[in-house]
Amino acid sequence: MLMTLILQGTASGIVAGCVYALVALSLVIVFKSTDVVNFAGGELVMVGGYVGLFFLVYFNLPYPIVLVLAPVVMFLIGASFDRITLNQVSGRTYAKHVDLVALVVATIGLSYLLRGIVRVVPYTEEVRRLPPLFTGPPLFIGDVVLQMQDFAIMGVTMVIMIALWLFFRFTMLGKALRAISQNARAAALIGIPVRTMRMAVWGIASAIAGVAGLLLAPKLLMTPDMGAVVMLAFAAAIIGGFTSLPGCIVGGIVLGVVQNMVGIFISPQAITVTPFFVIMLVLLIRPQGLFGEATMLKKV
Amino acid sequence: MYGAPARKQLALLSLLVLAGFVLPYVLPGYFLYIANLLMMYVILAIGFDILLGWTGQFAFAHIAFYGIGIYGTALLQLRFGVPFVIGMPAAAALAALIGFLIALPATRLRTVYLALATFAFAECAEWVFRTWESVTKGSDGLRISAPDIFGYVVGTDGRALPVIAIILALVLAGTLYLRHSKLGRSLCAIRDSEHVAAASGIDVKRIKVIAFTISAFYAGIAGGTYTLFQSFVHPDGLGVWTLVLVLTMIVVGGSGTLPGVILGVVLLGILPEALRAAPRGLLVWQEFAYGLILILAIMFMPRGIWGLIRGGARARKSPAAPRQRAAGALPREAP
Amino acid sequence: MTAIFSIRDVSMRFGGLLALNRFSMEVEPGSIHALIGPNGAGKSTAFNCVSRFCTPFEGDILFDGKSLLNEPPHRVVAMGIARTFQNIEQLYRMTVLENVLVGLTSRVRRYFPFAPGVARARAEREAVRDAEEVLDQTGLLAYRDTLAGELDFGRQKLLDVSRALACKPRLLLLDEPAAGLRNREISYIDSILVDLARRRGITIVLVEHVMQLVMSVADTVTVLSFGEKIAEGAPAKIRADPKVIEAYLGSEAVNA
Repeated sequence: MLMTLILQGTASGIVAGCVYALVALSLVIVFKSTDVVNFAGGELVMVGGYVGLFFLVYFNLPYPIVLVLAPVVMFLIGASFDRITLNQVSGRTYAKHVDLVALVVATIGLSYLLRGIVRVVPYTEEVRRLPPLFTGPPLFIGDVVLQMQDFAIMGVTMVIMIALWLFFRFTMLGKALRAISQNARAAALIGIPVRTMRMAVWGIASAIAGVAGLLLAPKLLMTPDMGAVVMLAFAAAIIGGFTSLPGCIVGGIVLGVVQNMVGIFISPQAITVTPFFVIMLVLLIRPQGLFGEATMLKKV
Repeated sequence: MYGAPARKQLALLSLLVLAGFVLPYVLPGYFLYIANLLMMYVILAIGFDILLGWTGQFAFAHIAFYGIGIYGTALLQLRFGVPFVIGMPAAAALAALIGFLIALPATRLRTVYLALATFAFAECAEWVFRTWESVTKGSDGLRISAPDIFGYVVGTDGRALPVIAIILALVLAGTLYLRHSKLGRSLCAIRDSEHVAAASGIDVKRIKVIAFTISAFYAGIAGGTYTLFQSFVHPDGLGVWTLVLVLTMIVVGGSGTLPGVILGVVLLGILPEALRAAPRGLLVWQEFAYGLILILAIMFMPRGIWGLIRGGARARKSPAAPRQRAAGALPREAP
Repeated sequence: MTAIFSIRDVSMRFGGLLALNRFSMEVEPGSIHALIGPNGAGKSTAFNCVSRFCTPFEGDILFDGKSLLNEPPHRVVAMGIARTFQNIEQLYRMTVLENVLVGLTSRVRRYFPFAPGVARARAEREAVRDAEEVLDQTGLLAYRDTLAGELDFGRQKLLDVSRALACKPRLLLLDEPAAGLRNREISYIDSILVDLARRRGITIVLVEHVMQLVMSVADTVTVLSFGEKIAEGAPAKIRADPKVIEAYLGSEAVNA
């Protein structure tokens, strides 16, 4: 009996972990390229889910179209935010390090703005549910139950993860983004259009968050407060190391499984506090996580 | 930032205390409540700003210390009959102690990790407030009985106002003295350049820990003040939203300056009440409003409203020497 | 004369890059010692080791016979060493006077910050007096209430030096004091440095690219290239040294 619980917990933990990992990927690529912690990450997930809901239920578009359209919309939202707001904020060079705080404050503002918009739109007044991607009977592996949606989640996560890894490693755009993350000024000097790149990063990150929202929404009740999942994503990213893409996957899965184990062995009430505890613990003992780079010295 | 606060500033504080005694006879009850609320927020906001605006530490644990101040003062009175005059300083001291303990590991972390770690701590604290039901009554909320100060029972907003005004005046006086002191200069130096600070003999880590502790103490005092005019405390008010509210106040008003923070508190503290009172319950627009205000403020008024006012005054007062571009500095990126 | 300040066989690595390779330098008390070399030679790294912002993995740094490497950064000033910064790390939000007051921090007695008091009043009064004295010496007293961020570039550099001088150091490390300055301003720096060293006996080590200043004030010049010392001696001798010319090949700075 306990064994079944553990196996089920592990399986659902892995699935949940994939969602955390996706959102974590979104956070990490922004951080790697711009040093900004995107506190609006969760709200982008939530908006992604609602955008999908909107297209699917209100406009009655077929699911495959929605799966393409929603991330595109999210890409535009993220890129616009960077172009309009972050550009304005970081355009000031009067004070070097204050800008980073200002940028993060801007993302906090965005998170509440998004949440506020979704809350006042009359369409979202009732709690909604997004239909799952793959319908069908659940799959039984021994005593462990997995929904079709769960496989969709794991599959999509893997695909995105590999695509991102290839992208950053082998394409010119990816390499340019890595250059920017290491030294934005030098990158600008050798002709890399830093502003456009940053917009692209925010767009991609938002699109990924949107995909996570589409995958996650069928499993949850949709509310404007869905963005709270971001703390789990932060924990996943921190476990993996905030600068490592594969670390997100590992971190996400570790966190997902650990959460369920906490629920089984300690108490269901403790599940909500687990990610916060993990964040503090990892930052205390090993701030760079499992795969992150050790913190670099600032050049004087 | 040296010597001592100007006599003019200290005189304003005595006006504040005077107002505290006079206003209850002049204003209706609801406005007295708002006054109490704003004064408490000023204490909370200044404490946060000392850490964020003065010292440049992006730390979000503040709200947890506020909660400790509230529950500490309330429970000491409820469970142990400890009078307010001892209970509040005790609760604030406890908040300061926990702030100190958190600061020791936290100050090792870089900006963004510091933000996340302290954020996680604040969420943990909220979870504790919610789950430790035997002590805090969790989600049911805790009833606070009116504190008694040497026989003076603080039962209504009118009776609480002078007490809060006195507490605020003391806090402001202390803050003014801090600003004009060696410690105040050290705090501000760290934000502008840790390297210059260290090269000037400032023990950066030690000062950061001190900043955390002071900030937590202020939050604890704000929490104690809460119990003077509120009769109920619930964990919902002790989460990130309240901290974002305070952050917005500071950013809009003018981070790093006392008048700026006070201005921000007054302007933005009234907003939720105005929304609540508006017809058709515009309260649901609250998050949208604050999100938008925060974004617009950080985009166009990074030094806050007070920064704008001062910028204008300074430009008129002394023509600064023409600013030359540093030769050898890299050009700004082409649009 | 025995050296007051010596760097002995210091090696420093950043990731895969060996920034300093068994670098040694001895500085005579009361002298002006210049450290020059092409960009990336390791000059600022050497300074950062002295300021204790980074730690070499081998070698030692001695001041007055005592090793610096066991001290945390904020103790360096107490030992009598002050420095300026290449990229003007300015306390831009504070006024000129306040900047210097921060420089004085180590010399101001501690007091309870939240309340008035006799000790406080005296400490602040003396601090302001000392700060104004420093500003008077460097010619910035008229700007005492100007925000540091609003000063023109030349005066910002002067402020950096004032701040370093405030703690009455015996060794002054100047990181490119002349960079970006006009000729008139360079002459001013020149005279200040000579005054500090000859009249007040402060030992000065400066990292510099502007050869005009180096040739004019330095008693000894050490040349670094790719983390290694390639030459050392009087300015005239260095100027003619073929190894030095080669290291700077193509740079018009040598022909200044």
